[in-house]
Amino acid sequence: MLPENLTAVVARNESWTAESATEPYEAGWAKEAIVFVRALKQPKGRLPKARVEISADGIHWCHEGSEFDLPAAKDAVTFQRLTHFGSFLRVAATLPEGAEITVLVTFHLKA
Amino acid sequence: MNASDSRLDDLRRAIRESDPQLSRFDPLPRIICLDDFDRGMCGWTQLVGNYEDTLDAMLPGYAQHSHAMLSTLPNWDFGSHGGVDGSYALKIATRPRKGAQNVAIKRLTFRKAGPIRLEAYFTFKPEATELALSETDIRSFGFLYDLQIGDTSGPGDRVMPHLRFLNAQDGQHIQKWQFKRRTTPIKPIGTAGKTITHYHLAPDDWEDLPGGEQRLCYNEIPTKVNWHYLRFDFDLAAMQATRFQVNDRVFAMDGYDCIRIPAMKNLWCMLNLAFFAETDTDKRAFAYLDSVCLSGDF
Repeated sequence: MLPENLTAVVARNESWTAESATEPYEAGWAKEAIVFVRALKQPKGRLPKARVEISADGIHWCHEGSEFDLPAAKDAVTFQRLTHFGSFLRVAATLPEGAEITVLVTFHLKA
Repeated sequence: MNASDSRLDDLRRAIRESDPQLSRFDPLPRIICLDDFDRGMCGWTQLVGNYEDTLDAMLPGYAQHSHAMLSTLPNWDFGSHGGVDGSYALKIATRPRKGAQNVAIKRLTFRKAGPIRLEAYFTFKPEATELALSETDIRSFGFLYDLQIGDTSGPGDRVMPHLRFLNAQDGQHIQKWQFKRRTTPIKPIGTAGKTITHYHLAPDDWEDLPGGEQRLCYNEIPTKVNWHYLRFDFDLAAMQATRFQVNDRVFAMDGYDCIRIPAMKNLWCMLNLAFFAETDTDKRAFAYLDSVCLSGDF
């Protein structure tokens, strides 16, 4: 059987301001992932980098170390490749006052 | 049943009972799908709402939905729980907001309007963010079909049988099965005149299934789960439920009915099945499935 390969949309049309993150996504079966972030509307303000976070339980989170740009224009896409991330995965960002981005976040996961 | 049919039935039963995966189900003669989530997502995906031109048109009930997961039921205190057998189960997780819901759906069509049987092993728990039993944190676990007659079979309806286990509401541990006959008003989407929407999982209009009180095994801390067996028989010809069983209880379905709305112009022979979870607190609700067997008499 072919190994599992999943496209999971983990945030759709969500407006991020201040402290924002995707919902915990459990994917311990996956050996690799690419996180895609697309801006669905024109972002506002100064955008910070997004960061990848991992967790043993989906409750307590650690910065995995990867950071990547958030898309700076409507329909722009950014991504981050990941390996060896354990079980729970999420993307988080801390947006300064006045900054806002409406995101579509997709995880492409492969066993 | 004639002698030949009886022999075939005996042979089929012997073969199935020798297979541990099938032996825990009682399927009708034809297995439409047997989804053991050790083989992946098996065609279960998220229930996205309808839209046109912009995702802003999606009703909030659908906008909150997210993708189901392949889960080992990991817990902070003792690690992975695992499934009924194998490592994985399908996990449906709500957001951490009172009343939040999430749904996993599988979309099929049917080839004969006759009896079908849905069987599943399920369990549910809140996210274990507190060292407390948390038995009233999950509002409900449930399932539904979304069905429509064939294009030449009419007149007929789009029929949506719903059942939920109302575990708790506003902190009260209720524990009873409920059904639904009404959805929200149908609302047009966009300007092309091709798409409508309604939210059939709205919190209103649930009715008690007569005799539907049931105390399920919940276990003694917020991380331990026990798996429950569920069976729901439905006749696609009569568009009526015929039997409902959870663990050792079989419920009378005389007082049960479905949401019935006019047939839609592009949903002929639709056979969708879905499971859902709903939280009663600002804590994520998790529903798990391992596994799901859909069978038919054809």
